[in-house]
Amino acid sequence: MSTTLILGKRLSFKHIVPFLSGGLAFLVGGIILYAAGVDPLEAYALLIKGSLGTTRAIADTLVKTISLLISGLAVAVAFKCRLWNIGAEGQLYMGALGGLLVGIAVVGMIPVVSVIIVLIAGIAFGAMFSLVPAVLKVKLGVSEIIVTVLLNFVALLFISYLLHGPIKAPGFLPYSPDIFPESELPILIDHTRLHAGLIIAGLAAIFVHFLWKSKIGFELKSVGMNISAARYAGMNITKSILITMAISGGLAGLTGAVLLAGVQHRLIEGISPGYGFIAVIIALLGRENALGVCLVAFFFAVLLAGSESMYRTLGIPVAFAQTLQALVLVFVLIGEVFTRIHLPRRIKRVNEAKLEDHGKQIGAPAERGKGE
Amino acid sequence: MSDAGSPPFTNLNPSQSSPVGTPENQPVLSMNGITCRFSDVIANNDVHFDLFKGEIHGLLGENGAGKTTLMSVLYGLYKPEAGEIYVKGKKVDIKSPLDSIGLGIAMVHQHFLLTPSHTVTENIIVGLKSPRRSILLNTTEAENRILELSRKYGLKIDPKAIVGDLSVGEQQRVEIIKALYRDVDILILDEPTSMLTPVEEKALFSTLSAMVKAGLSIIFITHKLREVIEASTRVTVLRGGKVIGTVMTAKTTETDLAKLMIGRSLTHSVDRLEQEIAAGIQKSSSARATAGLATMLELKDVFALNNSGIQALKDLSLTVSKGEILGIAGVDGNGQSEMAEIVSGLRKIQSGQVTIDGRDTTGMSPKQIREWGLAYIPEDRLNTGLILEYTIAENLILDRWYSRPYSGKIFLDKHEMKRFAEEIVTNFDVRTPSLDIQVRYLSGGNLQKIVLGRELSKEHKLLIAHNPTRGLDVGAAEYVHKQLFKQKASGVAVLLLSLDLDEILLVSDRIAVIYAGTIMGVFDRTTADVDKIGPLMGGYVVEAGA
Repeated sequence: MSTTLILGKRLSFKHIVPFLSGGLAFLVGGIILYAAGVDPLEAYALLIKGSLGTTRAIADTLVKTISLLISGLAVAVAFKCRLWNIGAEGQLYMGALGGLLVGIAVVGMIPVVSVIIVLIAGIAFGAMFSLVPAVLKVKLGVSEIIVTVLLNFVALLFISYLLHGPIKAPGFLPYSPDIFPESELPILIDHTRLHAGLIIAGLAAIFVHFLWKSKIGFELKSVGMNISAARYAGMNITKSILITMAISGGLAGLTGAVLLAGVQHRLIEGISPGYGFIAVIIALLGRENALGVCLVAFFFAVLLAGSESMYRTLGIPVAFAQTLQALVLVFVLIGEVFTRIHLPRRIKRVNEAKLEDHGKQIGAPAERGKGE
Repeated sequence: MSDAGSPPFTNLNPSQSSPVGTPENQPVLSMNGITCRFSDVIANNDVHFDLFKGEIHGLLGENGAGKTTLMSVLYGLYKPEAGEIYVKGKKVDIKSPLDSIGLGIAMVHQHFLLTPSHTVTENIIVGLKSPRRSILLNTTEAENRILELSRKYGLKIDPKAIVGDLSVGEQQRVEIIKALYRDVDILILDEPTSMLTPVEEKALFSTLSAMVKAGLSIIFITHKLREVIEASTRVTVLRGGKVIGTVMTAKTTETDLAKLMIGRSLTHSVDRLEQEIAAGIQKSSSARATAGLATMLELKDVFALNNSGIQALKDLSLTVSKGEILGIAGVDGNGQSEMAEIVSGLRKIQSGQVTIDGRDTTGMSPKQIREWGLAYIPEDRLNTGLILEYTIAENLILDRWYSRPYSGKIFLDKHEMKRFAEEIVTNFDVRTPSLDIQVRYLSGGNLQKIVLGRELSKEHKLLIAHNPTRGLDVGAAEYVHKQLFKQKASGVAVLLLSLDLDEILLVSDRIAVIYAGTIMGVFDRTTADVDKIGPLMGGYVVEAGA
């Protein structure tokens, strides 16, 4: 019984650590604000009010949550399988491109179908783009980290080229033409910007949650955790890596398509203010699981939305939100080192001791009883 | 340079001449009441240990008995909670390995601490101060001294050789000379025979006796009873962190030591074992007779490369029959791993053919071969046999996650997984505080039981067991051997690859010796012995008829 007690303690403690870390980040952030001559309490009050104070504010926060959540899931899927996909931003842009190409071409369908086709095109483009590093990894053993990072530049510059030339709408600015209205994601609450992408994001989270309970998910995860054990057990390594990356890239592409169909309705250079990069932090802080990513994505959306109002009212630069993000990351990582490395060691020792006693009292006679 | 008489780098004390192995006089080392604790676990509990000049003192115990902890205390790696250490009658405080070397104590670790790209001499003098102030390294004097030591103790070594090119046995000699070079008079050897061939082992033992004759004292850590009997003067047995007893080797037997070591008599240790083997051979020959000596596994002219692209298997041919255990004896790295991987489909074959139960399995995927009836206990259970971050249940379905009843069309069946885990935990006596913890919190013996549980619970006709008892204590090893016997009795063909020759001799019906990727010879258990097998393991072809 006492053993389970130790394990129970560890589980609950493990879950408290991120919140403690977040608290510390705000404390240090407060000191920075104070040093900058701003009352931290006032600033934080504004942060909350600006992100959660009114229906409109909440809607805006949720709109940000949608992008952060889907891209966070994209990265989380890859990370869970120990594939370091840092290319969600590029995959996001390619997904948006895919959505656009369909959105400006498909006319006259019922809206639901039209939207779905746009989103599927986004998933397909994102997935295909992510298969480049996956294939290079599988065939040539190239590190996916480097390739995914570099492909971000390729994607962004490619989109930029397209927007300045081939798909540029008439006018001075590098914008694409608008997609047809039936391809737009409908607004959920009138007079706000909250669109049906929230439902898509929710479905994506449910998908990821159940992915890990499925047969295919078990195979993907096993290959990621330990290639040699997975191979030994008869799993298909190549297939698993390709599928994992395709799911990850597909979700990142979906983020782009949702941004396109839900917010901008056309492709612009800055369609994502770096969601694909924040997604990495979100996936890590969310511990690579769907529920965790949901919580962290919402938290980061609050930070982003709130910092805009801090800027408008108190003139605190929007960059302060990034500072806070960075602080949260640093403290959580410290907490992580503590929970993942320090704690297990202690638990292992304690468990071994417990087991030894356990074995002496119960195990030994049991074994004797069993002998022949 | 002027003082040509002074030896290079450090002073060599001419070994003090005093009578050998007379435990009546003052101990050169004594450890009193050592207690060492890691959080709640007591690794050493009030341990007393004496070492006399000129003796080889065996330190015997199962894994986790506290042998290594005790020696680490002596070597300054751990600080004991209580207890005193006296060296040559003087109380000492050992804070680091530097202190212990200063006191003339050196340790040869199980895994050597050598730089492979450096020469023998460079490895030996590393860390020592040169007597002369010179930027350039002059190794001639050191080399001479190494040769001198090598002659004195029969440790054949070329001081100019690159360590990476040496065999394991030679590398061990380098480690020993490294200690002798530092003028130690107490030498600790941690499981020194675990990587040696029988021939190298004999050479080591004769070196050790030369060393004690010259006045050194040696602590010999091991869990192998035979070695203690063969090499030591006295034995101290540790169990559960406590000293169970210290006896003169001449006045004890393997059976008695085994009893002391595990606290109960082994059901199949020594005498009982002989009987069981006899019964086993009978059983298996009757099983073989009923099965008509049907071949289960056949390897024909197999060639394969290892991971670095070097030829690992050369024209290897072999058969294993239903209901027999074929043991593969050999020194590590002679193609055992590659052979197991070829049979299980994990490694590409260059040429040749693998047949399992009449079906050509060459080029089939690991999954197909498993489904055809292979169970495989891999060499490296931590990195290959299991996923340490997974629970017992998840590890148990690692090879069958896709099939009923463990999963449905899309999802894994959590309830069935749990039921299966409970079944295996009970049947294979896995000791775990809970079913839901990651298996990395479990001990080596329990991990192996999980692997056994998974592999033996599937339908199979061929079992590959690769070092199935490595790192396990005597009790757990005995359990594994029993399982192998059971497999044999039920008609399964067992291919046992083991570095432990004692184990091979213990459980096999036939023994094949592998060297440099080729089978050097196959013996029946009844005609095989160490003298025949030993030279073959080292690549020496014995004249025909042997």
